[in-house]
Amino acid sequence: MSAAVGAERPQVVSHVQQALSYTVFDCRWVPRSARLLCLGSAARGTGIIQLYELHGARLELLREIEKPKPIKCGTFGATSLQQRFLATGDFDGNLNIWNLEAPELPVYSVKGHKEIINSIDGVGGLGIGEGAPEIVTGSRDGTVKVWDPRQKDTPVANMEPVQGESKRDCWTVAFGNAYNQEERVVCAGYDNGDIKLFDLKTMSLRWETNIKNGVCSVEFDRKDINMNKLVATSLEGKFHVFDMRTQHPTKGFASVSEKAQKSTIWQVRHLPQNRDVFMTSGGSGSLHLWKYEYPAQRSKKDSEGSEMGVAGSVSLLQNVTLSTQPISSLDWSPDKKGLCVCGAFDQTVRVLIVTKLNKI
Amino acid sequence: MGDESVPYLLGEGTTKTYQIPISHLDYKFIEKCTDVKHLEKILRVLRSGEEGCYPELTLVCEKRIESLDPRSRALRKDKPAATAADFTAEEWEAINSELTSWLTEINEDDKKSQFLRTDTLNERQDNLPPVRCSSSCLPTNQNKRLQNKQRSKKNIPRDYSEWDKFDVEEECSKIDEDCEESNSKARFFSRPSLPIIEKKIDTTGMTKREKIFIATREKEKGNEAFATGDYVEAVTYYTRSISVMPTAAAYNNKAQAEIKLQDWDSALQDCEKVLDMEPGNIKALMRRATVHSHLQNYQTAIEDLNKVLSVEPENSKAKKSLLEIEKKLKGLKPVSEPQGKGKKILIQEIEDSGNGEGRGENTEEWERRGGHQGSAAAAAARAAGGEPAMGNAHRKAHGRGGGKAHDRDTHKQKDSAEGALKKGASEKKSEKQLSDHEGEVNGYLRSDEKSESAEAEISKSRGEGSQSAGGDSSTSLPPAAAKLKSQGNELFKSGQFGEAVLKYSEAIECVTGLGEQSPDDLSILYSNRAACYLKEGNCSDCIQDCNRALELQPYSLKPLLRRAMANESMERYRQAYIDYKTVLQIDSSIQAAKDSANRITRTLIDQDGPSWREKLPPIPVVPVAAQLHRWDEGSLTSENKPSSIDINREESQMNREEAIEKFKRLKNEGNDFVKAGEYEEAANKYSECMKLNTEECTVYTNRALCYLKLYKYEEAKQDCDHVLQIEDSNVKAFYRRALAYKGLQNYQASIDDFNKVLLIDPNVLEAQKELEEVTQLLHLDSGAGAGSQQAQGKKITIQEVSDEQEERQFAAEDAETAHVPEREKLRVWEPSNAYDFGQIVNAVNASGAGPS
Repeated sequence: MSAAVGAERPQVVSHVQQALSYTVFDCRWVPRSARLLCLGSAARGTGIIQLYELHGARLELLREIEKPKPIKCGTFGATSLQQRFLATGDFDGNLNIWNLEAPELPVYSVKGHKEIINSIDGVGGLGIGEGAPEIVTGSRDGTVKVWDPRQKDTPVANMEPVQGESKRDCWTVAFGNAYNQEERVVCAGYDNGDIKLFDLKTMSLRWETNIKNGVCSVEFDRKDINMNKLVATSLEGKFHVFDMRTQHPTKGFASVSEKAQKSTIWQVRHLPQNRDVFMTSGGSGSLHLWKYEYPAQRSKKDSEGSEMGVAGSVSLLQNVTLSTQPISSLDWSPDKKGLCVCGAFDQTVRVLIVTKLNKI
Repeated sequence: MGDESVPYLLGEGTTKTYQIPISHLDYKFIEKCTDVKHLEKILRVLRSGEEGCYPELTLVCEKRIESLDPRSRALRKDKPAATAADFTAEEWEAINSELTSWLTEINEDDKKSQFLRTDTLNERQDNLPPVRCSSSCLPTNQNKRLQNKQRSKKNIPRDYSEWDKFDVEEECSKIDEDCEESNSKARFFSRPSLPIIEKKIDTTGMTKREKIFIATREKEKGNEAFATGDYVEAVTYYTRSISVMPTAAAYNNKAQAEIKLQDWDSALQDCEKVLDMEPGNIKALMRRATVHSHLQNYQTAIEDLNKVLSVEPENSKAKKSLLEIEKKLKGLKPVSEPQGKGKKILIQEIEDSGNGEGRGENTEEWERRGGHQGSAAAAAARAAGGEPAMGNAHRKAHGRGGGKAHDRDTHKQKDSAEGALKKGASEKKSEKQLSDHEGEVNGYLRSDEKSESAEAEISKSRGEGSQSAGGDSSTSLPPAAAKLKSQGNELFKSGQFGEAVLKYSEAIECVTGLGEQSPDDLSILYSNRAACYLKEGNCSDCIQDCNRALELQPYSLKPLLRRAMANESMERYRQAYIDYKTVLQIDSSIQAAKDSANRITRTLIDQDGPSWREKLPPIPVVPVAAQLHRWDEGSLTSENKPSSIDINREESQMNREEAIEKFKRLKNEGNDFVKAGEYEEAANKYSECMKLNTEECTVYTNRALCYLKLYKYEEAKQDCDHVLQIEDSNVKAFYRRALAYKGLQNYQASIDDFNKVLLIDPNVLEAQKELEEVTQLLHLDSGAGAGSQQAQGKKITIQEVSDEQEERQFAAEDAETAHVPEREKLRVWEPSNAYDFGQIVNAVNASGAGPS
């Protein structure tokens, strides 16, 4: 590849590498700070929360909190910018909310699921998304539950299979469409390739599809706008981008799919500062930076006159391989464009800088 | 396949995978090959190293693929993360220093905000929406179903079965219902569920830093929406960003989005805000220039661009738009120079027509509009010099379907009045120069148009109008009152509305003083006085008088219309709407009422939102007896016209209008027949026209044309002679007489006439051609007797062609107008709301009714 082309493209720089003594499942930037959290499972079967601060070219460990159960996932999505409480889901199905200043006891705790909480997402906090702060959890027990931190013990919405229907392992959940106080959707991806879109306003299943392979990660390009795009990644290395603006009565949402690599795509995360750029993290320790390009017309009329969406295209901006082990978690800094953290199964957390994102 | 073109070399095998001939692993082949798939295979073979390791060749192959398909997946290689070595020293420095400065900034801020916390927390909590499904219930009053469900099974977990029961059709019909309820507006929107996004963000308890953060994010959302072309959404997000923290950038971007939406006024405001914050902001100046140039403030636009160029002399965009604007300005020059004059004339005209002198004139104007919509306009309607401009303004305002013009008009009626006049003036100019009916629409003299056309409309539909005719009923007035009334009428016609009011008031006093019960007459007097008040702009008195008139004589058209207009001018749109609707119940053919009702619909939608109908007072139901039915035109013949003239002025006037109406109808029918090629019929129609009006030249020239087509040259000549007696320089008449002479083989006379045509207008190509033709014929005629047969045949065909062309050129004002509605129809767009829909319906109605 010529240098000229390379100079135009964004580059991914591995800024800091920090080896960990435990398996990291999730890592998150603390909003409005240069600190980040690593969540995982220690060798002796306990849960670990580590708080690091970025100091120049190194990460300084500020705090380590140990909890009885391994922690699978965490989010700041439902907390205020001032409080910055962390919501976590653990291997035992517990949803906890922690005040990181006083982490001894959770601020909120509920045994939400019978089995591991695979995925968690929050909305209504951090100034992202109108309406009540809510947390959604997806679990191996097949249920997806929506929680309001102000309501103890019971979820405010629960989406579970009917009795008799086989339970599918829910691997991923995401909020979206929270552009005003009433509208809100939850998208959930399952191990059999199902993607379900639940409308919390009408309390109905708005749409479902199957992408054939287990859905590892779903994310809306932005949670707090009239839902625009949804990316779903799969076990077999493909990802799908759905245009969520136009829903056809029978065909649903238009989508484009792209094969990133041969291995599983573990995570997808949209750049908070530009919804059309997103990064996928792969099973082979690689990261791919993509850009979605809209078609000239985002919708058209079908033969019966119903509006149907038109999918755009995806182009690869950059790809790097950081490790031989899967990169299981990925998070963009909400405050600094291009700053990114990723945790891999090689027990390393890396802070990355992606350059030239302004020029896309 | 590219590879097939290359000959296989002897003795060489193929690769193990893909079976590619070994010879293809070659610089030359790769350079020539254009098949990306094949090249990708080669690349894979080369990379695998199974045929040996050729790093150079691999590179060449990669480059070749890249040049053919830069997005090819084969090019994706596992790459390590970039390091310092991948950047120049400066770049690396920049990356690191940027991060460091961010780190210090955020850390400082983080520490500060620690102190600012806690106290505001409770406050924030209070602002939060309630917990979903809690008994306090969501504020989602839109969705009753949801609330009911929640109440019945509060907090009970739901399962897939319920999700699956979700019935798309039911849901759709629900949505439809909602739309119905929330009225037609939603249905006509291209995007029925236009998201409702709060325009403001609650920022209680936020630190400055947080506000910046939120404002930036909202701006980014705006940028993204802008990039995808959702300009409305973009404006919303910029507005939100500004509500948190006003920044020049957000205003600037908002202005750009508003320019895209053609919301010039808001864009202008926003540009100005940017320039308040950052004087000399290049982008804002550029954008303001764009706005100004669209608002036709070319001078200001040029000033802005010059400011830009003084800062950035090389700004090519600014240069380009400067040139464009100067060009536009030059194009306007000839018009703008005599603008002052034109303006004066126009004002005068408005007064002329405003004084109601001769409603017939108004009717004519009205007819011109009707002509635009459905039938050919009569040249006769152009009695007054400036009238074309008026008619034009009417037509434009309506033909446009309202959109911007009306909006702007209603909001900025006063201050735009003068601008409108100017524009009207230039419009008129261009109209005269080009006689082009498709000038840019910017003239709208709505207030006048409204009242004039409505007046005209009343007169038109008066035929059986119970109260307005006054012919018979006037006899029941006491002589004194009748005299006062006719004096009032005179004064009204001459534009002295104040005096007219006095006369009418006296008449009213007279009638009421006598205590005679003649509600009809009294009603007319009140109605007439109301008209005076309306003309004077005294809307409240007008309404009072209309009310009185309507008490005496319910469901009479004129007072209803006048009250509607008065209400509309007073911005009491609901009442105006009701009145217009009532008028339409009585006589559905009153175009002015239809137009106004539509216009008000629009205003009400803007004002009250989709549920505007609910806020309306009930519309009275008009008893069938009071409803007028379109008069049977066949029953009225020209003979009974002059019988009842001059007892009462008003009645004579009415008859004149009737005559004009009929005249025009006949003429239009004639024109239609001409177009259809049925010249016999057309000639008959024109003949009928002549019975009504012997002065009208166009009918004669048109009939002459028919006669020409029918080879009745003698008759054609007579018609032309008649015209030339009235109007000694009528080009058409000369031209047609020349053709008639030609048909009569009086070539010398024909040549004379053609010469006269060319004397009057040397640019008539057809005349020139014909002249040559006839001169030749003259020679032939004198020369050859045997060739006459041929000449004859030839002559006819020539005539056909030339007539066609002549028709096109001369009958421009007749034919063109007739074509306008077709063009209009072609431009009919998808209605986007109730207002547009109404406009279309009206247009269709009008065009349907026109030619009949």
